[in-house]
Amino acid sequence: MSIDITKLRNIGISAHIDSGKTTLTERILFYCKRIHAIHEVRGKDGVGATMDSMELERERGITIASAATNVKWKDTQINIIDTPGHVDFTIEVERALRVLDGAILVLCSVGGVQSQSITVDRQMKRYNVPRIAFVNKCDRTGANPFKVRDQLETKLGHNAVMMQIPIGLEDKHEGVVDLITMKAYYFEGEDGTEIVEREIPAELLEQAEERREIMLDAVSMFSEELMEAMLEEQVTEELIHDAVRQGTLSLELTPVFLGSAYKNKGIQPLLNAVLKYLPNPTEVQNRALDLDNNEEEVLLKADDSAAPVALAFKLEDGQYGQLTYIRIYQGMIKKGSELYNVRNRKKFKVGRLIKMHADHMEDITEAHCGDIAALFGIDCASGDTFCQADLNYSMTSMYVPNPVITLAIRPKDKKAADNMAKALNRFTKEDPTFRTYVDPESNETIIQGMGELHLDVYIERMKREYKAEVETGAPQVAYREAISQRADFNYTHKKQTGGSGQYGKVIGYMEPLEEGEGNYIFENKVKGGNIPTEYIPACDKGFQTAIEKGTMIGFPIVGIKMVLEDGASHAVDSSDMAFQAAALGAFREAYNKAKPVILEPIMKVSVEGPTEFQGNIFGSINQRRGIIVASVEDGNFCRVEAEVPLSEMFGYSTILRSLTQGKAEYTMEFEKYGRLPASLAEELKKEFEEKKKKEAGK
Amino acid sequence: MVKSELIKRSPLRVFEKSINGGLGKGNLGVLASRKGVGKTACLVHIATDQLFNDKHVIHVSFSSRVDHIVSWYEDIFTEISKMRDLENAVSVHDEIVKNRVIMNFNQQGISTDQILRSISAMITDGNFAADQVLFDGYDFNEVTLEDVAKFKAFAQDHQLEIWFSVSLKPEEPCFDDTGFPVQLKPFTENLDVIITLAYSGDHVKLRAVKDHENTELNTMHLMLDPKTMLIARE
Repeated sequence: MSIDITKLRNIGISAHIDSGKTTLTERILFYCKRIHAIHEVRGKDGVGATMDSMELERERGITIASAATNVKWKDTQINIIDTPGHVDFTIEVERALRVLDGAILVLCSVGGVQSQSITVDRQMKRYNVPRIAFVNKCDRTGANPFKVRDQLETKLGHNAVMMQIPIGLEDKHEGVVDLITMKAYYFEGEDGTEIVEREIPAELLEQAEERREIMLDAVSMFSEELMEAMLEEQVTEELIHDAVRQGTLSLELTPVFLGSAYKNKGIQPLLNAVLKYLPNPTEVQNRALDLDNNEEEVLLKADDSAAPVALAFKLEDGQYGQLTYIRIYQGMIKKGSELYNVRNRKKFKVGRLIKMHADHMEDITEAHCGDIAALFGIDCASGDTFCQADLNYSMTSMYVPNPVITLAIRPKDKKAADNMAKALNRFTKEDPTFRTYVDPESNETIIQGMGELHLDVYIERMKREYKAEVETGAPQVAYREAISQRADFNYTHKKQTGGSGQYGKVIGYMEPLEEGEGNYIFENKVKGGNIPTEYIPACDKGFQTAIEKGTMIGFPIVGIKMVLEDGASHAVDSSDMAFQAAALGAFREAYNKAKPVILEPIMKVSVEGPTEFQGNIFGSINQRRGIIVASVEDGNFCRVEAEVPLSEMFGYSTILRSLTQGKAEYTMEFEKYGRLPASLAEELKKEFEEKKKKEAGK
Repeated sequence: MVKSELIKRSPLRVFEKSINGGLGKGNLGVLASRKGVGKTACLVHIATDQLFNDKHVIHVSFSSRVDHIVSWYEDIFTEISKMRDLENAVSVHDEIVKNRVIMNFNQQGISTDQILRSISAMITDGNFAADQVLFDGYDFNEVTLEDVAKFKAFAQDHQLEIWFSVSLKPEEPCFDDTGFPVQLKPFTENLDVIITLAYSGDHVKLRAVKDHENTELNTMHLMLDPKTMLIARE
């Protein structure tokens, strides 16, 4: 069976919390005839909207996990990827965004562009996702879609153009005037399924003419044909559609639609706009990294006949095992065919292939290029790439940053302990930046991640989804130790305790590596067999054991080169053990001479908020040992970019909220390791000494 | 070469000497030329020299994206450190970037007061002890005498050296017979140093057309190296 890829859309619905995104999704599903009754998010009927699959989401009325749903509008398949709108869940948002070809940006007609819309919008810009805007909740008191359009321009920098004007607002909101057809549309019948076209009400005619002029002026920038047609006064609907589409695809135009999902107004025209203005998979360029060729970028072909490449973007635990959502970027995937997981280099057979609706699934035999499908029972992690076995492409860089923060967690009771283990297993699969291990010394379970919020989200999910109540310790920064200069060693390990003794002598030096040279290099320059070749690996191993835990504060040592130049051995008493011990001893001897320093993770922090709070933001960064790298002002809005040590960022969200009346927000990511100032390093060393003493006393 | 030697040998010493010891705190200086001659490179070189001297610099821009400006600084630093074979270049670099802040204003027609308010917030709230502020691509077409007076007062209040780079309008004769930029004439009183950049033969020459109160102007003997875009001796 061949399908027309141009009749396919992969879209996301992205928005600020509480702007009615889930209700909108629900209405779209309804009008596409996939579900039979409309449920409200905070359903009085206790059923809840279809897309919200997690209990936590139901309780809060928000959507956390992104599920993909397939619907059909007119002759086109639409995959709706429900992206979380809350800022804390950005890893999931970003992963979902990769998979989208276009998006609907939902905005509340009262609240307008709020700070979280800004974050989501910035992410979409980064992934080059074309978007159309939908101003929802036009039935609410204080609704003003024109103001929201202005905010799209001033706050998000969009070239936003009204494609419709409302017929009545607040409780008088009845429908919309389409500025292309210049007709009024009313949504009548039960659940607004009957669209009635009428002439534009007389009192709106002037406003409609005016707005159409503005729209045409803006839109004609993207089509010379339309511009000519305007001069000759021969504008056709087709020409306008083409121009809007051009502008939208180039991300230089955001057409604005409006209505009220709750009151069933304006949804069908929005769906028409998705078909008309958002791209099909062939119009989007997707690139993979060729792992056989130094992660060189390769352009993928949106073509069924090419070798398949797919990305696993979401895992879900269902009743029947693990469900893996995939987006197929190239080629097609057939039931029973063989695929190769690039990350773990394992081949697997495609068993059940499924197309998902939010609450039921449909077995299919093949999934086409550009489409979204799901696989059953595949052991994989989120972000894995599946290819035909002869390709070694990855959709994402294999580089995963090391976690910078650790937190000890303790289950409250036995049952929680079991559930916690299940949850941790799941989370580490979903998110490569989330890790967990048991500390052999304290016997505590440690979780690691990219920031405080990141770990908070998982603690919360453990509680909600897995019923695992845990107590948490204070978050710990993942420090590192490093040497700052070269130091020589000349160390003999010698023990005579009856029977065969232990003997090993190592001579050489350690020196710091330059940035980018890696964490550890071992070089063997021993000549003349003074250390027999069979003991060289033992020396290497001894050094590697030594760098696992520095002697200053017990954190790993990074950026060090060990050079072995000479040594001595004993015919009877030398052994692997003896040379390992010699290397360890030599390391400890040289380490203190090499002026070791403590490194701390430095985060790249970006704070955004109204300009009136700029001074407060500057101050808050400065108080945290931060360095302001740049500040960008755009209208009433400013963004401050800074480098701040992670240890100073604990609790920053609360402080930022109170400094800015909740109007600013921040994001951060790991930037680099930087040297900890001497005074703070002394404190840490003292703490470490005391801890050691305490443990020794136990 | 070590850092102190590099500072001593910098062509910027010639630059300072020819304008009698440099711009000086509380003063306004202008680099003026037609578009695309190399003002930004020049400005960044001046700033980098300050940074080498452990001074703090705020770079204000209006059009470029922040990452573009950062790459200007990276390029200029790389060229200097390569040319002088700077020792410990990586740690010198890490040390000096801490003393640089970039402030970008996207909005067109933003008021002088708003700009100065933001810079002031950076200096006081951000505790950034700026020595020099550079306005890259400041539009002197829209500037009033009052605006320039505000900049002057700001420079004096905060004891700053302020440099502007100004693109001269292409349609008019840019310079008068003496080489003075016509467009800047109304502001002469409040501008302490004016340096023009213009092609002379195949290279861009720097020329001081106003030097504080001095009527005897020195010849600079400086040019922009066409390959590296660095300020260099002629």
